[in-house]
Amino acid sequence: MQSVVKTITLHTKQDMEIINITDIVKNTVAATGIQNGTVHIMTKHTTSGITVNEGLPDIEDDLVDMLQRLIPRNGEYRHARFLNSDGQMAVNGYSHLRSALVGKDTFFPLHEGEMVMGSRQTIYFMEMDGPLYREFLVHVLGI
Amino acid sequence: MIDIHQHPLHIKEIVEQNDELSRHTKNVYGIYSSPHSLESHFYQLDVAGIDQAVIMPIDCTTAHGCKLVTNEQIAWLTEKSSRFIGFASVDPRSPNALKELEKAVTEYGLKGLKLDPSLQQFDISNKDYAFPLYQLCSELDIPIFFHCGMSWSPVGKAAFAHPMKLEEVIQQFPNLRIIISQFAWPWVSEAFMLGIKHKNVYFDTSILFSGTPTDSVQQVLGEQIGLKNLDRSLSKQILFGSNTPRVDPKRLVWAIEDLKLKPSLQQNIFHENAASLLQLNQGGVTCSLS
Repeated sequence: MQSVVKTITLHTKQDMEIINITDIVKNTVAATGIQNGTVHIMTKHTTSGITVNEGLPDIEDDLVDMLQRLIPRNGEYRHARFLNSDGQMAVNGYSHLRSALVGKDTFFPLHEGEMVMGSRQTIYFMEMDGPLYREFLVHVLGI
Repeated sequence: MIDIHQHPLHIKEIVEQNDELSRHTKNVYGIYSSPHSLESHFYQLDVAGIDQAVIMPIDCTTAHGCKLVTNEQIAWLTEKSSRFIGFASVDPRSPNALKELEKAVTEYGLKGLKLDPSLQQFDISNKDYAFPLYQLCSELDIPIFFHCGMSWSPVGKAAFAHPMKLEEVIQQFPNLRIIISQFAWPWVSEAFMLGIKHKNVYFDTSILFSGTPTDSVQQVLGEQIGLKNLDRSLSKQILFGSNTPRVDPKRLVWAIEDLKLKPSLQQNIFHENAASLLQLNQGGVTCSLS
């Protein structure tokens, strides 16, 4: 059994942004040489997310619209305060809640060197408080 | 859009130039999160709609034995990108303050002076060391950006930064352009009084005391001063300023937009007033000494 963890970095460019990371995940998995097992993709942040959906621009826009509608910027959030531990205004409670709704990770089976995915499934990194320098992990566990 | 108030303490390329800066940023300035790259910084400006940002250091040599970014580093950043407009800082209690300011303006091309009485712990109304500095700024025809009111620094002393200390300075130097940060919160009424009386007094919008920027800007500008008073009496004297990295600049932009100001007033705040103050349409500042 092997366990390989790769860190992928990216600069997001928008306040909210949905970034297709399918190819970079597949290439990272292939480079490990592991043939059978599981692939775990996880963001390291609390105002971003990992999700899977159909890779169409309208779906991507609808996902962003849904999060803004369900968790509006000007709602009432306890996190709306100066964050003394950072020395900065936090005030991004809505970003944390959007992240909680989307979730931080996803899994795929790995079979005979290929990630087992539906034909329309696309893996997304979702930025919810950008622009920021971000990291996500690809963890391949198998033989 | 012009942001009149940013500190490049969070830009990794600056932090990596000085081993001590990271420690001073935490212990003296009071920012504890990780820096980001210059590339990320420009993306933040883009998302906020900011075309140019004034970046400023704070020279705290006498009070705390450090400079929170040097004039040379500010000059380096302005050479890297025309999106940056550099202000200088000197320690008013240093015997070299006048020479350093003159050098920063005439050699480095910096466009204004940043003073933070709460961090630098100097007396604004001192005639021995502070007034000669104001006199030189008048002669160089550069504005002074005063931190006024609350200081988020763990070692900042707000009593040094009361806006009423500026009244005599304003009267003695009627041609000196003075910018008061954050409407000097919590001394908003006193700062407003200075602004309605003296047209060479400006204010920035970096009001960050509690809640969201939208909440605190609404409380000060919308309720304490009143939007009608802003439009009638201060329409040419308010400058957009974020005080980045205390806050992501996009949030201050949203806070101003959430006020639902008259378009002409919002345009003045976001661009026109700063362009006029900084003389951006006149080929920059005059650097000759009288």
